[in-house]
Amino acid sequence: MDPAALRTAADVMTAIVLEAAPFLLLGSLCSALLATFAADRVFLRLAGKKRPAQVALGLVAGLAMPTCECGAAPLARRLLRKGAPAGAVIPFMLAGPVLNPAALAATWTAFRGDWRMAAWRALLVMLPAAAMGVLLSAGRDANILRPDREGAASEGCACCSGRAHAPGSNAAGLLLDVLRRTGREFLDMGRFLILGAAAAALCKTFLPQAWLLNLSTNLWLSVPAMLLLAVLMSICSSADAFVAASLPMIPQPALLAFLALGPMLDLKLAPAYLGIFRARPARLLIVAPAAMVFILCMGLGLAGALE
Amino acid sequence: MTRESFRSGFQDRMEGAILLGLGGSMVEPALATRLYRNLLNPKFEPLTLCAGALLGLCGLALLLRPEHGHGTTPRLFRQAVMLAFLCIAATAWDHMLRPPQSAGAPRTQARAAEAPIPASPVRAAEPVPARPADQAAIPTEGPALTVDGVRYVRLNIAELAMLLDKKNARAPERFAIRARLTRPARLGGTSLLARTAIVCCLADSLDVGFLARGLDGIPTGRWVEVCGRLAPLSAAERLKAKAGAPNGEAAFQVIDRARGVVAEHVRLIPEPDPPFLYEFHDAEPFAWR
Repeated sequence: MDPAALRTAADVMTAIVLEAAPFLLLGSLCSALLATFAADRVFLRLAGKKRPAQVALGLVAGLAMPTCECGAAPLARRLLRKGAPAGAVIPFMLAGPVLNPAALAATWTAFRGDWRMAAWRALLVMLPAAAMGVLLSAGRDANILRPDREGAASEGCACCSGRAHAPGSNAAGLLLDVLRRTGREFLDMGRFLILGAAAAALCKTFLPQAWLLNLSTNLWLSVPAMLLLAVLMSICSSADAFVAASLPMIPQPALLAFLALGPMLDLKLAPAYLGIFRARPARLLIVAPAAMVFILCMGLGLAGALE
Repeated sequence: MTRESFRSGFQDRMEGAILLGLGGSMVEPALATRLYRNLLNPKFEPLTLCAGALLGLCGLALLLRPEHGHGTTPRLFRQAVMLAFLCIAATAWDHMLRPPQSAGAPRTQARAAEAPIPASPVRAAEPVPARPADQAAIPTEGPALTVDGVRYVRLNIAELAMLLDKKNARAPERFAIRARLTRPARLGGTSLLARTAIVCCLADSLDVGFLARGLDGIPTGRWVEVCGRLAPLSAAERLKAKAGAPNGEAAFQVIDRARGVVAEHVRLIPEPDPPFLYEFHDAEPFAWR
């Protein structure tokens, strides 16, 4: 194997981790703050609301908690552990990375002020996110979280897993508790980030992207090709619009497929889903959004809605 | 500290040490500017620095005040993954701290001395007068320069591509750009001026390029500042532009398929360190470096 290519892969992997780590840490910090300070009853009250209200709340939560996909996953896990309903948490986890001011502004800027691309992108993320929220909250299993030994360890002891761990009563004790929780949460989710970054770096270095881009003339080929590219490249939701905008030869439905799927599924997120959720919900989270984005983008392309 | 007490807090201490290492791995490149700029856009430096500091604090909390009596479950997998990343990051840094390299360029490439050389004659197809330019008069700094009474606006190659792509914007008629000159085999040996733009990190980098005329006498691989203008590509050149450039370090390559750069003056410049572009303006003054 070419040592120079391996060095490039190491550079790319390090760059991805360094770029994503602050956002993952932010998600871990929010998760720790929720675990330490937020009472479970707040989230249980949310579970009492009707499902459409849960989904709507989950979709708009991204505006209040702007975070990229790396930070959304640990936060979603914590919210579910605190008793928040999947009907709200899953739409937040999937749509939050796009439905936040930073990502929407980046899309608007990258496409030179064309608000339609930002609006289509938001819509193409909201629909699968809402559908997944409904689907996973209507499942047979009430608990979609995977029982995880390491996760439980990171919560504290088995006796109080999922609840606030009797934090210190004074400010120093609370701070110590938040810091320890943040660190453990970061390590627990960071392994998925690192494994995903390694896979993305190897794909980027050793798989030529040219053949994917050469499929640009045919809508039936370009949409799946760009879906595949979104997964393999694992680009952050705040930067992917600039990459998409630099590919004017690709049909717009295929560009939208790239922009919509990337924040919901990539090589960093797939192992995270498998680590956080039980097997069935994890498989659904990996397959269903991709299928829905494919159908929606093909529909848009065939209907000529983006002409 | 009893042996039992140490054992009960060992996992937390171990993870605390790893977090300290990870925090250091973020603070170190953020402080060593050159290292950072080879991996990420410098606009993220403060964010990385804060995150590194917070990780360090989390590490200290676990290292110095571990929770006893629980949390002793081995967390070997995640610890091994983190340690492996630290080793890979160290390898990447070692690689980065060696002499600079452009996207896809061999490390052994010598740095060009900053020396003006005359632009090579322009093809007959292009009605541009081959002028004996006073190359030494090209200023090395400033947002614009004047040669032979003609004003050239300095901008970077990504800004030029962005302006050409923008609906309500006009690229300057005469401009100066800094780029690496290559003649990829896939382009049939045609001169290509290209540079890598990093929007966020190396993984989303873009090689932005223009085919160029009037650079025939300049060796491949050199960094140049070209004063020139745009001209439509011929049908043959359009086909070459479509073929694209070979992969460098950038994730994508974008070559303008309609226009190329006609060099009117050119001078060799040292390879920028780092060679990437991070800042893009859509009006004067441009972030031309």
